[in-house]
Amino acid sequence: MEVTFYGVRGSIAAPGPGTVRYGGNTACVLVRLAGGELVILDCGTGARNLGLSLLGGPFGKGQGRASILLSHAHWDHIQGFPFFGPFYTAGNRFTVYGGANTPALLEEVLERQMAAQYFPVQTIKNLNAQIEMRAAPLGEPFSVGTAVVRATANPHGSVRALAFRIQDGDRSLVYASDAGYAREGPSAEALALYADADLLIHDATFTPEDRASRLERGLSSSEDAIEAALRARARRLALFHYDQDYSDRDIDLMLERSRHTLEQRRGQLEIVAAAEGLTITV
Amino acid sequence: MRVRFFGVRGSLPVPGRRTERYGGNTSCVEVVTDGGTRIVIDAGTGIRRLGKELMQAEREAGGKETHILVSHTHWDHIQGLPFFAPLYHPGSRLVVHAQQRNGGPLRSVLNSQTDAPYFPVSANQVKAEVAFRELAEGARFEIQDARVESARLNHPYVATAYAVVADGARVAYVSDTAPFVDILFGEEFVARPPEADLPPAAREALRAMRAEVVGLCEGADLVIYDTMFTPEDYRLMPHFGHSRPSDAIEISREAGARTLALYHHAPERSDDEIDGMLARARELAARPGVALKVIAAYEGLDLPLGPSARSEEAR
Repeated sequence: MEVTFYGVRGSIAAPGPGTVRYGGNTACVLVRLAGGELVILDCGTGARNLGLSLLGGPFGKGQGRASILLSHAHWDHIQGFPFFGPFYTAGNRFTVYGGANTPALLEEVLERQMAAQYFPVQTIKNLNAQIEMRAAPLGEPFSVGTAVVRATANPHGSVRALAFRIQDGDRSLVYASDAGYAREGPSAEALALYADADLLIHDATFTPEDRASRLERGLSSSEDAIEAALRARARRLALFHYDQDYSDRDIDLMLERSRHTLEQRRGQLEIVAAAEGLTITV
Repeated sequence: MRVRFFGVRGSLPVPGRRTERYGGNTSCVEVVTDGGTRIVIDAGTGIRRLGKELMQAEREAGGKETHILVSHTHWDHIQGLPFFAPLYHPGSRLVVHAQQRNGGPLRSVLNSQTDAPYFPVSANQVKAEVAFRELAEGARFEIQDARVESARLNHPYVATAYAVVADGARVAYVSDTAPFVDILFGEEFVARPPEADLPPAAREALRAMRAEVVGLCEGADLVIYDTMFTPEDYRLMPHFGHSRPSDAIEISREAGARTLALYHHAPERSDDEIDGMLARARELAARPGVALKVIAAYEGLDLPLGPSARSEEAR
């Protein structure tokens, strides 16, 4: 399984000289399963570059297939959807899983982003690819290519965000963006989902100080991410979903500090900071 | 009058090394009169930095009024609004202006952006006093010491060009628009380039629309114009509602404008490509006897306009 980051930022895309190393695009991650099937995690603005790169392969000829897992519908996780190039090529096929009770409700949420007031294409129906909506079942495993996917809902301010575990043979990847745990940390279900993950991509929006002053946002700090990873005995942790105001230097410091914390706790864990263009083999 | 650019990009923000010099934020331009009237045109992601700057200034100066002129409500022109810090400051006052449209009042079109499930902070958590003004087509009105003129543009759904006149200076903002020749946009979705010639009524409507836009740019110190497309882009996508530099030059020259700023750069356009586009546009604009200066808008560009700026430039 191979993971490539196309967007690692939270809230809003943050262009500028201060974000060129880690990248300023909002959440989007590509997972290539061992059998070659593609799974896309979230559709923030990073989905535009992902689409451009996919169009160089079968998607450019209308022969592409991918599954898209959406954690939730805050803008930074769906705003790249209308700009994902492979949607505009007939023959491409997508299955979109999201945290709605029915496929129709998921479609309605995505449809409103395409409405004529906001976007010239006006409706998902004007996209040429075949796009099937599915409600991601909570707790119940479902198959995507060779992998088995499970979803659990994490608290995220006034809403909930899905975390996904992708189990591909003996390798496992967990994507847990936008997690605002209660004081006691991740729920038992969340820890079960994360357990022994080879790679845990985890919300690390804030430093602990910034998190403390913005509890209502329902987002994690880098320390929350480490705590979750250690408790779940994950092997590798990728910090993800940085605050839009953090510069590359701020993220360098966050990473250094995270490694220091880990040393103090004598944790067995490798920590990386997700960056646009970074590929990790799981 | 002073004009500053906070976002110069179209479609969606494009962070990265390829856009470092011109900037990757979507549309946002600030116009401030010598008397201190603040008019912001469009609220793309660029408005976030302006908001931060205003909050720093406001802590010293107290609450302030900002007028926002919205060209249209496509995402790249409104998506920064929820991140405009003065919205969450009890002392500030915002007046948002946009042309009337079908499909719901302006307030609901803009406030829906922060509805659940899309955004964690809903419109009723806004602390600023916010007023919405819906404009009739071609409306002209005053904002304190500034005069605002508007004209309908040729873009899917509704889009509006504005001119702000104050301190003996005029700035025109013409984004987004297609040229006024091949297609007349309405509210319907246009899936492909037009195949047949336009009916006479549509041609007449486009001629009238074009005349209004030229009027808006008449003698302007600065024309900010949607030049998202290269000639090749336009050949393939005339039905997307954007112009080429040659279209902007033609209108600016006819209106006797002094400076044209290429604007609303395509997301795929790298800094070097914009340099190239600018060089070609300057060649195109260089005609004996016509002094049209062409620049390419970039984030951070700060242009003083008015009699003193003109005499400065003459020297």
